[in-house]
Amino acid sequence: MAKPDEFKPDPPSENPKTEADDTDDENGDGGYEEEVEDTEEDELDEEEEDEPEPEPRVRTPQSAVRMQRAKLEGLFQRLQTQSVPLRVHDVLIKGNTKTKDYLIESEAALLKNCTTMQEILEVSRAVNFRLQALEVFDSVKITLDSGPPELPGTSNVIVEVQEAKSPLSGEIGAYTKAEARSSTVEGTLKFKNIFGHGDLWDGSFAYGWDHISELSAGVHFPRFRGSSFPLDVRAFLLSQDWLQFSSFKERSMGLSVALLSSRNHDLVYNLGWRTLTDPSQLASRSVRRQLGHSLLSSLKYTFKVDRRNSTLRPVRGYAFAATSQIAGLAPDSRCSRFLRQEVDLRYAIPLGILNSALNFGISGGIVFPWGAGFKNMPSPLPDRFFLGGNSSPISSLGGPTTVWGYRTRGLGPTESRRQLKSNDGDTEDAADPGVDFLGGDLAVTAFADLSLDFPLKWFRDRGIHGHIFASAGNLERLTQNAYKDFSLQKFVSSFRTSVGAGIVVPIQPFRLEVNYYYMMKKFEHDRGKPRFGVTFSM
Amino acid sequence: MEESRDGGWTLVTRKPYFGLPTACPVCLPVYIYLKFGRCPFNLELNSSYPDSDQIPYIEGGTYVAYNNEKGGVIQQLKQDGVVDLDSEFSSLPEWVSMKAMMSSWLADAITYELWLGSGENSAKQIYYSDLPWVIGKVLFVKQVYDVKQRFHISKQNAEKKEEEIHDCAKAAYRALSAKLGEQDFLFESRPTSLDADLVGHVLFILQALPEDSVLRTAVLEHENLIRYAERHRNDILNSDPSSASASNFQPPPSAAQTSSSSKPKRKPKREKTEEEKRFQRKAKYFIGAQLAAVLLFLSLLGSSSKVDIDEDDED
Repeated sequence: MAKPDEFKPDPPSENPKTEADDTDDENGDGGYEEEVEDTEEDELDEEEEDEPEPEPRVRTPQSAVRMQRAKLEGLFQRLQTQSVPLRVHDVLIKGNTKTKDYLIESEAALLKNCTTMQEILEVSRAVNFRLQALEVFDSVKITLDSGPPELPGTSNVIVEVQEAKSPLSGEIGAYTKAEARSSTVEGTLKFKNIFGHGDLWDGSFAYGWDHISELSAGVHFPRFRGSSFPLDVRAFLLSQDWLQFSSFKERSMGLSVALLSSRNHDLVYNLGWRTLTDPSQLASRSVRRQLGHSLLSSLKYTFKVDRRNSTLRPVRGYAFAATSQIAGLAPDSRCSRFLRQEVDLRYAIPLGILNSALNFGISGGIVFPWGAGFKNMPSPLPDRFFLGGNSSPISSLGGPTTVWGYRTRGLGPTESRRQLKSNDGDTEDAADPGVDFLGGDLAVTAFADLSLDFPLKWFRDRGIHGHIFASAGNLERLTQNAYKDFSLQKFVSSFRTSVGAGIVVPIQPFRLEVNYYYMMKKFEHDRGKPRFGVTFSM
Repeated sequence: MEESRDGGWTLVTRKPYFGLPTACPVCLPVYIYLKFGRCPFNLELNSSYPDSDQIPYIEGGTYVAYNNEKGGVIQQLKQDGVVDLDSEFSSLPEWVSMKAMMSSWLADAITYELWLGSGENSAKQIYYSDLPWVIGKVLFVKQVYDVKQRFHISKQNAEKKEEEIHDCAKAAYRALSAKLGEQDFLFESRPTSLDADLVGHVLFILQALPEDSVLRTAVLEHENLIRYAERHRNDILNSDPSSASASNFQPPPSAAQTSSSSKPKRKPKREKTEEEKRFQRKAKYFIGAQLAAVLLFLSLLGSSSKVDIDEDDED
């Protein structure tokens, strides 16, 4: 993918009339160049009050170069100190043989509203970046040319694109998607711009930290049917293995449509066929009741604001995220129906010594079924909240998921698994089958983290720093009339807590932590004990 | 085998239909076997997993007997000492051959009739009526394919296979009818698992299969089998609804699980309380407000002509 080019003024040429001919690229950088016609400079010069005396008509080449340089310097000085009025008369598009004009025109539409040269330069930079971000062009060049002679003070903007020679590309990366529950490492094969609408077709395989594997294929339209928002449609086959923790495997297949995707807002519709199975045949009673097929038709809206200076090591700022999901949006009343809400808040306060900062965070979530007889229904097992795992709560804004030190799905309500008979036929002597972690309908987590640099420069240069932290979290069942027994005091008093310290190594885009954890408060069956551990997060 | 820790057994089967406590031909014999053995149990239903071979299963505490283990639920109940009705007969050659005949010829006949014969609509009602239409349709097609694979049925041999299966079933009915005579049970005057299998089989054919079913026509030729099945149906299945205690557990729509006592009853429609009605109204308002907010946001944002200029570097 071609890199966005920086703004570079051309050196003054011997030919005073610079054409919008960008083929002779002296720098070889596929450049982002801007050239100003002498005629335009003359018009600008005429506006100045103190005009230099006209040059002698007969000039030597050296004096012409000096004059050109002086004019350019004067122009750049004016650009820095005052607005230079200039309007865009027309945006001309060149180089696109397959890509539809409307796509480029819509990305460059803002140029027509510019009224000064500074604005044109700034917007041109943004347009260049947006066109590069479509991933269908090898290079993008934006040039300013003089407008029609009969319209002084105008210019034409020429957008010259070079379409990607090879429509096929592959990449490996780490992503956090709005519709996913966790971050994933993904390998992708892409076909670009097959129909000329900037469409990106891809097939990908992803593996997530939460025992998730996903095979998917999708298409991305940057502007669907003239709208200003992109459209993403994906067909997915997703598999999650929770046998070790909750005695079930989940397999989902379906369609995911990103209806709205912008910096702060995401709206995704999911239609999926979900199947829960227990190949081990050891599941506890509550899990056995949930095995089988269900149809999930849901709308998920995420609002996110992240004003922290960094997600890997936030030192100042705040972040807020809220996710609402409503499932059961189908005429068929036999599909899964529930409401789910998550809230995250993070805040970082700089302390001013050794680049230290205090990070606070709190996350909460609730899920509840709806429909006839909802009070007696359990919430769907895969949509409940589970706490524990090897990710850091500082970076992620994905609802209540982690309490430092507790293993994956390591705390909360449990139920005994099926007990098998021993070889001599006596059940009581059989090995303990363990418990299934059932998750909760209400979850709350909180943490406080103090990060600070090490005194050694070697660590500081690499961003390696230390941190001391404390975290707490709890889960509770509310469904099947359990909400009648819910008590806030009991919920707060049964919070699990942990403290610890460790080293943080930022390896873009990951945050690697090597920590020592100590459980201050835990309950029977909780899977957490004083230990060293490593967390990865993005 | 000791009783379950909480003192009660729970039998999980597929949903009731056609006047039967469970309309699944695999689950019904297990139900009848427990009734013959006078073993008290609660009945719970599972309608979300039609393609599972674990169902029916019986559970008590941490003990579970799945149907796909150790010869089936009835065999495990015998081995674990929960209910053993066959202790005196299971070594008799006649008993063994009848058991083999029922578990092969008659079981195959029911499977063929349900999925490839005239019982297609009955199968859809029993197994897929509580699942969303798309899922039910796909699972049904998959099940039909699996049955064809199991019987090695192709276009060329379909008719021949059908005739073979029906002939075996008719032969089995003749043998069982001759063995039964006018007795109450197949062996002496005590029920065995064979009786549970036969009663379940005949009741299913009479009540769940359509009138043009070949198996139904074949069974109707043996009046003693009809009388035998109806006599036990009246003894086992008829119960006073008021004597059953309903559990509080009610399944979600997709699982359609209900819990009841071992005596099936029709629950009266429950009146919604004021609190429930108020909560439902609030839930509807909440959903409507959410949808309206999303639509309003989309329309406002769509009418805006400005595009945000992204000041940050690419993330």
